Amino acid sequence: MNEVIKEDQVLDCSGMLCPIPVVKTSKAIKELQSGQILKMIATDPGAPPDMEAWSRQTGNELLRSTTEGDKFIFFLKKK
Amino acid sequence: MSVWKTNDPETRKILYVQTHGEKDPERTATPFFLATAGAAMDNEVCIYFTMNGPQCVAKGNGDKIVIPRKGGNGKELKFFIDQALEIGVRLLVCQPSLDLHGYTMDDMIEGVEMIGGAAFNDMACDADAVIGF
Repeated sequence: MNEVIKEDQVLDCSGMLCPIPVVKTSKAIKELQSGQILKMIATDPGAPPDMEAWSRQTGNELLRSTTEGDKFIFFLKKK
Repeated sequence: MSVWKTNDPETRKILYVQTHGEKDPERTATPFFLATAGAAMDNEVCIYFTMNGPQCVAKGNGDKIVIPRKGGNGKELKFFIDQALEIGVRLLVCQPSLDLHGYTMDDMIEGVEMIGGAAFNDMACDADAVIGF
């Protein structure tokens, strides 16, 4: 069982298509302090590779990427 | 002085080139939404409109150009333009391709910037990626 990650903010992008989840994630992470965690929920099947690339490029760490039913759930830590 | 604004060597620069316009509505939205995603990844992003490209950023065309979709419910190009502008994507045109359509800068939507062929080549050489459509 994975250790529970406690998020500071939740962003639900369910039903939104590329590039909206990336855009909203980028905006939401700017509102956080360094070290805080954003939980992002998406249903776009392109979201897992997109969030991995977004994390790699922006330096905001992708702590976990999971699925729950048809939802993709990401925990991102602001750099 | 480059058209690129960043002095931060960590910030990557992506230049998109759009050559399509009104005649090819299905080819008009993608450069805007890829540029939007690029900007959301903290890159500096510009789109250069040449050949028929300036038609994409001419006043009124945002509502007129509808991206067709199988089964209907096409979306107006304006949606993709506004999304790109909102996240800081810069839109560039050059004089000869405006002349081609009888446009002046007054025909361009708010935010469009004029550059020349030399500046474009300079930007391309400085960019981390140049992507043409």
